[in-house]
Amino acid sequence: MHLMQSKNRAAILGYGAYVPYYRLPTTEIARVWKGGGSGPNIEKAVAGVDEDTVTMAIEAARQAVKMSGVESLGAVFVGTESKPYAVKPTSTIVAQALGQHHTLAADLEFACKAGTEAMQVITGLVGSGMIEAGLAIGMDTAQGRPGDDLEYTAASGGAAYVLGKMGKKAVAMIDCSTSFVSDTGDFWRRAHQRYPRHLSRFTGEPAYFYHIENSVNTLFKETGHKPSDFRYAVFHQPNPRFPVEVATRLGFTMEQIKTGLLNPLIGNTYAGSSPIGLAAVLDEAKPGDKILLASFGSGAGSDAFCIEVLDGITRTKGTNTTVRSMMERSTKIDYSTYSKFRDKLGK
Amino acid sequence: MPRSKVYVKSVGMTTVADHWNDSILDLAVEASRGALKGHSKKPDQIIVGNMFSAVGARQEHLGALVATALGLAGIPAFKVEAACSSGGSAFNVGFNLVKWGAIDSALVVGVEKMRDLEPEEVSQALAMAESAEYTQFVGATFAALNGLLARYYMEQLGVTRDELSAIPVIDHANAVAAPHAQFRKAITPEVVSRSSMIADPLRLFDCAPVGDGAAAVLLVNDSAASGTKRKMAEVLGGKISTNDFSIYEREDMLDFKATRLAFKGALQEAGVAPGKLSTLEVHDAFSVVGALSLEAMGYSKRGQGAKDAKAGRYSRGSDLPINTFGGLKARGHPVGATGVYQIAEAYLQLTDQAGKNQVEGAKYAATQNIGGVDTTSAVHVFGRAA
Amino acid sequence: MSIQYWRIRDRYYRLIGSRCAECGAEFFPPLYRCRKCGSESIKDKEMPRTGKIMTYTHLHEPLPGFEAQAPLYLAVVKLDNGAKVLTQIVDSPDEAVKTGARVRATIRRALVDGDSGQIVYGFKFVVVN
Repeated sequence: MHLMQSKNRAAILGYGAYVPYYRLPTTEIARVWKGGGSGPNIEKAVAGVDEDTVTMAIEAARQAVKMSGVESLGAVFVGTESKPYAVKPTSTIVAQALGQHHTLAADLEFACKAGTEAMQVITGLVGSGMIEAGLAIGMDTAQGRPGDDLEYTAASGGAAYVLGKMGKKAVAMIDCSTSFVSDTGDFWRRAHQRYPRHLSRFTGEPAYFYHIENSVNTLFKETGHKPSDFRYAVFHQPNPRFPVEVATRLGFTMEQIKTGLLNPLIGNTYAGSSPIGLAAVLDEAKPGDKILLASFGSGAGSDAFCIEVLDGITRTKGTNTTVRSMMERSTKIDYSTYSKFRDKLGK
Repeated sequence: MPRSKVYVKSVGMTTVADHWNDSILDLAVEASRGALKGHSKKPDQIIVGNMFSAVGARQEHLGALVATALGLAGIPAFKVEAACSSGGSAFNVGFNLVKWGAIDSALVVGVEKMRDLEPEEVSQALAMAESAEYTQFVGATFAALNGLLARYYMEQLGVTRDELSAIPVIDHANAVAAPHAQFRKAITPEVVSRSSMIADPLRLFDCAPVGDGAAAVLLVNDSAASGTKRKMAEVLGGKISTNDFSIYEREDMLDFKATRLAFKGALQEAGVAPGKLSTLEVHDAFSVVGALSLEAMGYSKRGQGAKDAKAGRYSRGSDLPINTFGGLKARGHPVGATGVYQIAEAYLQLTDQAGKNQVEGAKYAATQNIGGVDTTSAVHVFGRAA
Repeated sequence: MSIQYWRIRDRYYRLIGSRCAECGAEFFPPLYRCRKCGSESIKDKEMPRTGKIMTYTHLHEPLPGFEAQAPLYLAVVKLDNGAKVLTQIVDSPDEAVKTGARVRATIRRALVDGDSGQIVYGFKFVVVN
């Protein structure tokens, strides 16, 4: 058995997403670099000049903690590949802002799947009884080299989850998960380098598809679940095409994935990508709904989760700031403003 | 209790300008020599008014530095700092020391070297008069704080753009014939309202300029005055007051409490009724500050300061002409020196040495020198020496 | 530079101000003595994160270190408990930044010490639609 399941299940007690205010239409990137057209997605979310993974993680975490009603967090984990400091934890700043000090704090890095592995680790800590509740965040201000294909999609945003013991307030249960990894160099960033590099078509079949298909099929095989058991499915979304393709291969329909498919309007938020898709799903899910969540991180690996929505979801309706409302509160910027915000001039 | 009469015996000033060739010490020495000219006795003490020599000239310890340069090493000397009211505050120390008999004479010299800094460095140096942790921290310059205040003043009390422009217009008109002024050119309200935006709604011509300068006055008591007092002005009263530190910490942002209290106290000590002043130097670092100061001193009702200025109530020829040498806007505002310039100008009026700017028969004059946004206010009242 | 701000990071991150134990008045920034009643029995208190704009300015030349944000909005915000805060207004369209507008607190990079120094985080406010 490869299934990861805590004896005592952990539950999502609160969640919060963060999408920055600025949108760069991909036609702008195409205008500057390719002389026309657009990228695979329509727009991408861009962090403001004074935002970074720390500020966005705190914003999302504040919402999640508020919804959870939890006063003491035993762990604060931030999954990101865009730490403001190469050495100095992001998680301690987040913990301080939340007034949490007696807490296990750590930053996790695994390209785009650091957010979901933070959820798995917290699930284990809660399930074992080591902590009452913990915070898992997937957040990034992803950067693509100017003119690189990645620039169309590399975006900013993510989500935070307070996981704790099951109870009346539980929004959803983390039933079980799987992980599948291999040494695959599809995308990387060497130390001291400002932008990542990637191998174009190699990022598809041997990387994204191979790992997600393995994690999800393992989950299916060992739980006996099948695609039709799930009301929703959320896949890592590096572009609008991959998640649709992998969903189809695994037997899911558009209907199941459309709610969590945000890439066309916000781009790829890396470690925030599948967590924010899950948040968008929870915004409209009802008790009893099952959700399949599958992340992908280059390098490479995939975590697949089976999540079941509980009665506690009803208390969140109308009180939390939804992912859609954050996506709507936005303003378009041009490429020069984007360059100024993300400090791309001369870099 | 010993209490001497105190006189401004003589004054010295540099022009307010870009003094590329002069150091902070050169400026202080030039003004000091002007004030000491014809005075054979050494002053008993030197008090230097200065705000940011550490930043502007990498120089502290100005008291001993100036004393040495003047050949006066041996006497007590130190610097007084109270942001833009450093000059007025230094003067207040000298006034009190002489008044209470501690010393017979004092040389008060205000000096600021601003032009060695780039404009953004000047902004940073000036902002140090505001909270590092809650004002500088948000990027706010002095202009920003005054912009916040100006909008509040205009919106809450129905003051218009043209009314706000009236005080800069008065200043520039008065500076035309002022030999030491930085900008000796008259302007129209349109020049103000069309100048570039600095901190909306404040524009460039709402704001005092950056310049270098030094002004010095020699304070004496009766025994040091020796001889005729025809060319002296008597210091009749002086008071420094403070307001809650930053505008956002105040119950009423439009109440210039420091100026209100200092003005009341200084006039009380002087025994001069407000209506008796012949001329008044107002610390109009920003147009809105001039207007709110006139309201705090009681010359204009709440919300009427700028309106009254536009109606001509503070222009030359009126009952209370203000800033007869151009005020901060046109004479210039070398911050730590400004308070001493104001006093030197009051002296010129009361000794009939104001030339074309003379207020005929000027009997009493007052100076109001602010540090911060009315955070500190130093007011002094002067009369003709008997 | 960073130690001065580290010391008061909770004030920046969580808007910890002061509450007068005698009269209940609340203040930000914190103070040593109540401005309303004069009491010196002052306790730390987390401020509400919403309020409205009392006055604002659009600053074209902010202090050194803030150039990338210029021109920027600054405002005096009256929080829902009556405390007044000087703050930047960010992520808000020009037409929304006006006197009386409702705002909420957010956290942002406040000061960045070059490419190798520390990043200081602090509160800023956003206009609520």
